[in-house]
Amino acid sequence: MVDPLIASTKLSSAGLEAQSARLRVISENVANAQSTGRAPGSDPYARKTITFKAELDRTLGASSVSVKEVGRDETPFPTEYDPGNPAADENGMVKKPNVNMLIEMADMREANRSYQANLQMMKQVRAMISATIDLMRG
Amino acid sequence: MQLYHDGLESTVTSPVYLFDLASRQANWLAARQTTISGNIANANTPGYRAKDVEPFVDILDKTKLTMAATDSGHIGFDASRPESMKVKKADTWDTVYSKNSVSMEQELLKAGEVDRQHSLNTSIVKAFHRMLMSTVRTS
Repeated sequence: MVDPLIASTKLSSAGLEAQSARLRVISENVANAQSTGRAPGSDPYARKTITFKAELDRTLGASSVSVKEVGRDETPFPTEYDPGNPAADENGMVKKPNVNMLIEMADMREANRSYQANLQMMKQVRAMISATIDLMRG
Repeated sequence: MQLYHDGLESTVTSPVYLFDLASRQANWLAARQTTISGNIANANTPGYRAKDVEPFVDILDKTKLTMAATDSGHIGFDASRPESMKVKKADTWDTVYSKNSVSMEQELLKAGEVDRQHSLNTSIVKAFHRMLMSTVRTS
Protein backbone atom coordinates (compact mmCIF):
# COMPACT_ATOMS: atom_id res chain seq x y z
CA MET A 1 0.00 0.00 0.00
CA VAL A 2 1.46 3.31 -1.12
CA ASP A 3 1.29 6.27 1.22
CA PRO A 4 -2.07 7.99 0.58
CA LEU A 5 -0.48 11.38 -0.06
CA ILE A 6 1.92 9.93 -2.63
CA ALA A 7 -1.04 8.10 -4.20
CA SER A 8 -2.83 11.43 -4.31
CA THR A 9 -0.04 13.08 -6.34
CA LYS A 10 -0.09 10.12 -8.72
CA LEU A 11 -3.85 10.48 -9.22
CA SER A 12 -3.50 14.20 -9.84
CA SER A 13 -0.75 13.64 -12.38
CA ALA A 14 -2.96 11.09 -14.18
CA GLY A 15 -5.64 13.79 -14.26
CA LEU A 16 -3.18 16.34 -15.64
CA GLU A 17 -2.10 13.90 -18.33
CA ALA A 18 -5.69 13.14 -19.35
CA GLN A 19 -6.63 16.81 -19.54
CA SER A 20 -3.53 17.71 -21.54
CA ALA A 21 -4.33 14.91 -24.00
CA ARG A 22 -7.78 16.46 -24.30
CA LEU A 23 -6.24 19.89 -24.94
CA ARG A 24 -4.03 18.36 -27.63
CA VAL A 25 -7.06 16.93 -29.42
CA ILE A 26 -8.84 20.29 -29.17
CA SER A 27 -5.89 22.18 -30.65
CA GLU A 28 -5.67 19.60 -33.41
CA ASN A 29 -9.32 20.26 -34.24
CA VAL A 30 -8.90 24.03 -34.16
CA ALA A 31 -5.75 23.91 -36.29
CA ASN A 32 -7.52 21.78 -38.90
CA ALA A 33 -10.77 23.76 -38.89
CA GLN A 34 -10.23 24.71 -42.57
CA SER A 35 -8.41 21.60 -43.83
CA THR A 36 -10.23 20.38 -46.91
CA GLY A 37 -9.38 17.26 -48.92
CA ARG A 38 -6.95 17.19 -51.87
CA ALA A 39 -8.73 15.25 -54.60
CA PRO A 40 -12.06 16.47 -56.05
CA GLY A 41 -14.99 15.42 -53.86
CA SER A 42 -12.74 13.93 -51.17
CA ASP A 43 -13.49 14.07 -47.45
CA PRO A 44 -11.97 16.88 -45.37
CA TYR A 45 -10.51 16.63 -41.86
CA ALA A 46 -12.95 14.88 -39.50
CA ARG A 47 -13.24 16.27 -35.99
CA LYS A 48 -11.64 14.11 -33.30
CA THR A 49 -13.27 13.32 -29.98
CA ILE A 50 -11.71 12.04 -26.76
CA THR A 51 -13.20 10.01 -23.93
CA PHE A 52 -11.82 9.11 -20.51
CA LYS A 53 -12.24 6.02 -18.38
CA ALA A 54 -11.81 5.41 -14.66
CA GLU A 55 -9.67 2.40 -13.85
CA LEU A 56 -8.77 0.91 -10.49
CA ASP A 57 -5.04 1.22 -9.86
CA ARG A 58 -4.30 -1.75 -7.59
CA THR A 59 -1.01 -0.42 -6.26
CA LEU A 60 -2.63 2.88 -5.30
CA GLY A 61 -5.94 1.35 -4.21
CA ALA A 62 -7.90 4.15 -5.88
CA SER A 63 -9.46 4.79 -9.28
CA SER A 64 -7.13 6.59 -11.61
CA VAL A 65 -8.04 8.15 -14.96
CA SER A 66 -6.78 7.46 -18.45
CA VAL A 67 -7.70 8.17 -22.03
CA LYS A 68 -10.16 5.56 -23.27
CA GLU A 69 -10.07 6.36 -26.96
CA VAL A 70 -9.63 9.12 -29.48
CA GLY A 71 -12.62 8.77 -31.77
CA ARG A 72 -13.94 10.37 -34.91
CA ASP A 73 -16.93 12.70 -34.99
CA GLU A 74 -19.43 11.23 -37.45
CA THR A 75 -21.39 14.43 -37.98
CA PRO A 76 -21.94 15.06 -41.73
CA PHE A 77 -19.59 17.58 -43.31
CA PRO A 78 -21.05 20.94 -44.27
CA THR A 79 -20.57 21.90 -47.92
CA GLU A 80 -19.71 25.20 -49.45
CA TYR A 81 -19.74 26.46 -53.04
CA ASP A 82 -16.13 27.11 -54.04
CA PRO A 83 -15.37 25.95 -57.61
CA GLY A 84 -11.73 27.13 -57.49
CA ASN A 85 -10.88 24.77 -54.67
CA PRO A 86 -8.91 21.62 -55.63
CA ALA A 87 -11.32 19.59 -53.49
CA ALA A 88 -14.40 20.87 -55.35
CA ASP A 89 -16.58 18.19 -56.98
CA GLU A 90 -18.20 18.49 -60.43
CA ASN A 91 -20.88 20.87 -59.05
CA GLY A 92 -18.28 23.13 -57.43
CA MET A 93 -19.18 22.06 -53.86
CA VAL A 94 -16.40 21.61 -51.29
CA LYS A 95 -16.78 19.54 -48.10
CA LYS A 96 -15.61 21.51 -45.07
CA PRO A 97 -14.46 19.96 -41.76
CA ASN A 98 -17.21 19.37 -39.17
CA VAL A 99 -15.38 21.47 -36.58
CA ASN A 100 -17.51 23.96 -34.63
CA MET A 101 -15.29 26.66 -33.16
CA LEU A 102 -17.77 27.50 -30.41
CA ILE A 103 -17.80 23.90 -29.16
CA GLU A 104 -14.02 23.67 -29.32
CA MET A 105 -13.60 26.86 -27.31
CA ALA A 106 -16.08 25.73 -24.66
CA ASP A 107 -14.31 22.39 -24.48
CA MET A 108 -10.96 24.12 -24.16
CA ARG A 109 -12.19 26.22 -21.26
CA GLU A 110 -13.47 23.14 -19.46
CA ALA A 111 -10.23 21.23 -20.00
CA ASN A 112 -8.34 24.26 -18.73
CA ARG A 113 -10.40 24.45 -15.55
CA SER A 114 -10.04 20.73 -14.86
CA TYR A 115 -6.29 20.99 -15.40
CA GLN A 116 -6.15 23.83 -12.90
CA ALA A 117 -8.14 21.86 -10.35
CA ASN A 118 -5.74 18.91 -10.62
CA LEU A 119 -2.78 21.24 -10.29
CA GLN A 120 -4.36 22.81 -7.22
CA MET A 121 -4.72 19.36 -5.62
CA MET A 122 -1.07 18.63 -6.32
CA LYS A 123 0.02 21.90 -4.71
CA GLN A 124 -2.09 21.20 -1.66
CA VAL A 125 -0.76 17.67 -1.25
CA ARG A 126 2.77 19.00 -1.52
CA ALA A 127 2.02 21.53 1.23
CA MET A 128 0.60 18.72 3.40
CA ILE A 129 3.69 16.57 2.88
CA SER A 130 6.04 19.42 3.78
CA ALA A 131 3.94 20.24 6.86
CA THR A 132 4.36 16.61 7.97
CA ILE A 133 8.10 16.68 7.30
CA ASP A 134 8.34 19.97 9.19
CA LEU A 135 7.24 18.12 12.33
CA MET A 136 10.71 16.60 12.44
CA ARG A 137 12.34 20.02 12.49
CA GLY A 138 10.81 20.70 15.88
CA MET B 1 2.96 7.78 26.60
CA GLN B 2 1.79 9.66 29.67
CA LEU B 3 1.59 13.34 29.06
CA TYR B 4 -0.32 14.43 32.12
CA HIS B 5 1.12 15.26 35.52
CA ASP B 6 0.62 12.70 38.30
CA GLY B 7 -1.43 15.17 40.33
CA LEU B 8 -3.77 15.60 37.41
CA GLU B 9 -4.41 11.89 37.10
CA SER B 10 -7.12 11.97 39.73
CA THR B 11 -9.03 14.69 37.93
CA VAL B 12 -8.56 13.39 34.41
CA THR B 13 -10.37 10.10 34.33
CA SER B 14 -9.57 9.15 30.75
CA PRO B 15 -6.23 10.24 29.37
CA VAL B 16 -6.12 11.64 25.87
CA TYR B 17 -3.52 9.91 23.80
CA LEU B 18 -2.78 12.94 21.75
CA PHE B 19 -0.02 11.70 19.51
CA ASP B 20 -1.89 8.52 18.62
CA LEU B 21 -5.08 10.47 18.01
CA ALA B 22 -3.24 13.03 15.91
CA SER B 23 -1.49 10.46 13.78
CA ARG B 24 -4.74 8.64 13.18
CA GLN B 25 -6.41 11.83 12.14
CA ALA B 26 -3.49 12.65 9.84
CA ASN B 27 -3.87 9.20 8.32
CA TRP B 28 -7.57 9.75 7.80
CA LEU B 29 -6.94 13.18 6.26
CA ALA B 30 -4.42 11.69 3.84
CA ALA B 31 -6.91 9.00 2.82
CA ARG B 32 -9.61 11.62 2.33
CA GLN B 33 -7.26 13.76 0.26
CA THR B 34 -6.63 10.73 -1.96
CA THR B 35 -10.33 10.22 -2.62
CA ILE B 36 -10.75 13.93 -3.39
CA SER B 37 -7.82 13.86 -5.82
CA GLY B 38 -9.31 10.77 -7.45
CA ASN B 39 -12.66 12.52 -7.81
CA ILE B 40 -11.10 15.60 -9.38
CA ALA B 41 -8.96 13.50 -11.73
CA ASN B 42 -12.16 11.76 -12.85
CA ALA B 43 -14.21 14.96 -13.06
CA ASN B 44 -14.75 14.43 -16.81
CA THR B 45 -15.05 10.63 -16.88
CA PRO B 46 -18.48 9.42 -18.05
CA GLY B 47 -20.26 7.24 -15.49
CA TYR B 48 -17.89 7.98 -12.61
CA ARG B 49 -19.56 8.37 -9.20
CA ALA B 50 -17.89 10.63 -6.62
CA LYS B 51 -16.51 8.94 -3.50
CA ASP B 52 -15.78 9.94 0.05
CA VAL B 53 -14.34 8.24 3.13
CA GLU B 54 -16.42 7.68 6.24
CA PRO B 55 -16.29 10.46 8.88
CA PHE B 56 -13.44 10.43 11.38
CA VAL B 57 -15.86 9.98 14.30
CA ASP B 58 -16.94 6.63 12.85
CA ILE B 59 -13.31 5.53 12.59
CA LEU B 60 -12.79 6.39 16.26
CA ASP B 61 -15.94 4.53 17.31
CA LYS B 62 -14.93 1.48 15.33
CA THR B 63 -11.68 0.89 17.27
CA LYS B 64 -11.79 -2.57 18.73
CA LEU B 65 -9.53 -5.40 19.80
CA THR B 66 -8.80 -7.87 17.06
CA MET B 67 -7.09 -11.21 16.98
CA ALA B 68 -3.40 -11.25 16.23
CA ALA B 69 -2.26 -12.96 13.03
CA THR B 70 0.50 -15.32 14.14
CA ASP B 71 0.59 -17.39 10.99
CA SER B 72 0.80 -16.42 7.36
CA GLY B 73 -2.43 -18.34 6.72
CA HIS B 74 -4.41 -16.15 9.11
CA ILE B 75 -6.62 -13.48 7.67
CA GLY B 76 -5.17 -10.15 8.66
CA PHE B 77 -7.65 -7.69 10.07
CA ASP B 78 -6.44 -4.45 11.47
CA ALA B 79 -8.93 -1.66 12.08
CA SER B 80 -6.25 0.95 12.71
CA ARG B 81 -4.83 0.79 9.20
CA PRO B 82 -6.06 3.20 6.55
CA GLU B 83 -6.91 0.53 3.99
CA SER B 84 -9.62 -0.73 6.29
CA MET B 85 -11.32 2.65 5.98
CA LYS B 86 -14.55 2.43 4.09
CA VAL B 87 -14.73 4.42 0.89
CA LYS B 88 -18.31 4.87 -0.22
CA LYS B 89 -20.28 6.70 -2.84
CA ALA B 90 -20.82 10.26 -1.72
CA ASP B 91 -23.94 12.39 -1.86
CA THR B 92 -23.11 15.14 -4.28
CA TRP B 93 -24.63 18.37 -5.40
CA ASP B 94 -25.28 17.44 -8.99
CA THR B 95 -25.11 14.68 -11.57
CA VAL B 96 -24.56 15.60 -15.19
CA TYR B 97 -26.01 13.86 -18.25
CA SER B 98 -23.01 11.52 -18.64
CA LYS B 99 -23.83 10.08 -15.15
CA ASN B 100 -20.79 11.71 -13.61
CA SER B 101 -21.60 12.89 -10.09
CA VAL B 102 -18.43 14.86 -9.34
CA SER B 103 -19.16 18.45 -8.35
CA MET B 104 -15.97 20.44 -8.73
CA GLU B 105 -17.04 23.12 -6.23
CA GLN B 106 -17.88 20.54 -3.60
CA GLU B 107 -14.60 18.71 -4.08
CA LEU B 108 -12.58 21.92 -3.76
CA LEU B 109 -14.57 22.79 -0.66
CA LYS B 110 -13.71 19.41 0.86
CA ALA B 111 -10.08 19.86 -0.15
CA GLY B 112 -9.99 23.19 1.68
CA GLU B 113 -11.48 21.49 4.74
CA VAL B 114 -8.80 18.78 4.64
CA ASP B 115 -6.05 21.36 4.24
CA ARG B 116 -7.29 23.37 7.21
CA GLN B 117 -7.65 20.33 9.45
CA HIS B 118 -4.25 19.05 8.46
CA SER B 119 -2.50 22.31 9.29
CA LEU B 120 -4.35 22.40 12.62
CA ASN B 121 -3.26 18.83 13.26
CA THR B 122 0.42 19.44 12.51
CA SER B 123 0.42 22.67 14.53
CA ILE B 124 -1.00 20.90 17.58
CA VAL B 125 1.46 18.04 17.30
CA LYS B 126 4.28 20.53 16.92
CA ALA B 127 3.13 22.47 20.00
CA PHE B 128 2.88 19.30 22.11
CA HIS B 129 6.22 18.16 20.88
CA ARG B 130 7.72 21.49 21.88
CA MET B 131 6.18 21.17 25.36
CA LEU B 132 7.50 17.64 25.70
CA MET B 133 10.96 18.66 24.59
CA SER B 134 11.04 21.60 27.00
CA THR B 135 10.24 19.32 29.94
CA VAL B 136 12.93 16.88 28.84
CA ARG B 137 15.50 19.63 28.49
CA THR B 138 14.86 21.40 31.79
CA SER B 139 14.98 18.27 33.95
